[in-house]
Amino acid sequence: MQPLERLVNLVALLLDAHRVLTFDDIRERMPEAYEQEDLDTAKRMFERDKGILRDIGVPIEVMATDAWESEQGYAIAKDAYYLPEIAFTPQEISALFVAAHAGREGSSAEEAVRKLLYGAQGGILVGVSGFALATDGVPDARLTAAAEAVAAQRSVRFRYRTSRGVEGERRADAYGLAVRGGSWYLVGLDRDRGEIRSFRLSRVSSDLTDVGEGSVPPEGFRAADHVQVGPWGPGEPQERARVAFSPEVAWWATKGLQGAEVLKERADGWVEVAVPNGPGEGLASWVLSFGPDAVALEPEELRRDVIRRLEATLAVR
Amino acid sequence: MPSADRKKAPKASERLRRLLVVVPYLVQHPGTELTEVTRLFGVPEEALVEDLRLLFVSGLPPYGPGDLIDVDIQDGRVWVRMADYFGRPLHLTRSEAIALYVRGAALAAMSDVPEAPALDSALAKLADGLGPETLGELPQRIHAAGGGRSADTLEALRAATAGHEKIRIEYYAASSAATTVREIDPEEILYAIGNWYVVAWDHRSDEERLFRADRVRTVEPTGERFEPRGLAGVGRPLYTRGEADAQVRLLLSPDARWVAEYYETEEQLERPGGSLEVVMPAGRLEWAERLVLRLSGAAEVLGPPQLKDRVLELAGRTRELYG
Repeated sequence: MQPLERLVNLVALLLDAHRVLTFDDIRERMPEAYEQEDLDTAKRMFERDKGILRDIGVPIEVMATDAWESEQGYAIAKDAYYLPEIAFTPQEISALFVAAHAGREGSSAEEAVRKLLYGAQGGILVGVSGFALATDGVPDARLTAAAEAVAAQRSVRFRYRTSRGVEGERRADAYGLAVRGGSWYLVGLDRDRGEIRSFRLSRVSSDLTDVGEGSVPPEGFRAADHVQVGPWGPGEPQERARVAFSPEVAWWATKGLQGAEVLKERADGWVEVAVPNGPGEGLASWVLSFGPDAVALEPEELRRDVIRRLEATLAVR
Repeated sequence: MPSADRKKAPKASERLRRLLVVVPYLVQHPGTELTEVTRLFGVPEEALVEDLRLLFVSGLPPYGPGDLIDVDIQDGRVWVRMADYFGRPLHLTRSEAIALYVRGAALAAMSDVPEAPALDSALAKLADGLGPETLGELPQRIHAAGGGRSADTLEALRAATAGHEKIRIEYYAASSAATTVREIDPEEILYAIGNWYVVAWDHRSDEERLFRADRVRTVEPTGERFEPRGLAGVGRPLYTRGEADAQVRLLLSPDARWVAEYYETEEQLERPGGSLEVVMPAGRLEWAERLVLRLSGAAEVLGPPQLKDRVLELAGRTRELYG
């Protein structure tokens, strides 16, 4: 008998059984499977099979056959085995399918969505077009480990390199996960600094080691509130600045930029736009990324920052 | 009998894991086409049929005709009966549930994806249905912080990609800092480092190119269809090196290290004081000039030599705009 056939029959038997079965019961019902004359050899084979089933998530429990606990037997707890019924709409199951297949092939997410398909209407996924969603070099396993730490409120230790390149050891109580612009951040209480910090997972340079129970996040905690916008964008919106763009780049510079508003198109084709401005020189740097296709108009401070940066570059001459 | 050179068959545990997921679907969907099963469950048809044949001799004791699982394969369709105990799949493992939830949350965070609202409700149902013992605190603790640019042409690009339609696009190329019109055959859509990309054959340069979706201003159908060339999708480098490419070598001070996280680099070398030396391929120097210009003193140009002069020239031209 093939091992697969034996395993399928064992799962079927235990799922169909209404009581706890002893090994003798199982052997009697599946004579071809555990046919070895020697009881120990047959038992060893059964133990191996039980191990395989547990590894793939079949919840086999060892329990007493009666109240007097005179004998041990085996059972599959039905409510632990079967996926609960969840009524997804066709749109919802398609969306989950697309999301699960947006990553690397063969991920646990694909495996998960396959299990959810059984209740879906047949054929709804025909022609569902996907796309690829790459995380910024973060291995699936690390993202899942971070999510598991958050789910169970654990404390983790890891090596981390800051955005400025300083590497060191960190210990943090995992409070939440945030995703911003395709990058994942673990947000938690930094145990050495005593503050809530965010850690970009692509800058984590080791596995996450579980070091025990974590603390509970403060009331009203939102992971996203602790993640700063990257230095490549125009900065966190606080006030507004006025910038003019050449006809060549204006459509792109303003489109999709949150909070940007076109003020007017000038006779020369240049477009004046109100854009969010924040502290620091993020906006000055962003304006300069357009070279001579953008001019900072207001506030005066922004103009000064841009000019100072240009002068610094030109001073090398 | 399997021959020696045949690919190693998957282990019984792998096959069982697969069966316990596929069979419930087949029990619920009588007469499903094998090709559909193959697509949905990512299993080759040959392996699937082999597993189903084995299922045919499995069942409950005493394994008489009325106890065995009934598997019927006809005209490329499959029926599975007499397996009510396999009518629902195995519970999601904790790591499967978490992996799906995290992926879903990442996609739901993108406002320009039409699936986002359905995903939000699907994730809520998933969290509710699986209960706190599976997902724990995760559903309350995962947030999207936005960011990235939205691409309003994404839908049109996805449709053209799925339908293998040649399209005419208006594109703002950062490499040359110019907007041009070109015809492309879009083959793959991917999302990486905060942006959507289209992998396509560019008829203008007669080369494979990667286009950032947010820089596609308009999409116009041509009515022509194309035969996919099998261009690489996910996992591909975001920049394909051309023969004529220059190597841009920069020394990034700590303030400018973000460049290495935001752009494709070929080489990264740690330097004293937290600086990072990077090598980036560039077909044209226009974008490199602008990058160095915005970084001001935070990046030093190590090569090519003409880049330094070009940055100075660009700085001079930009400075003139401020009187």
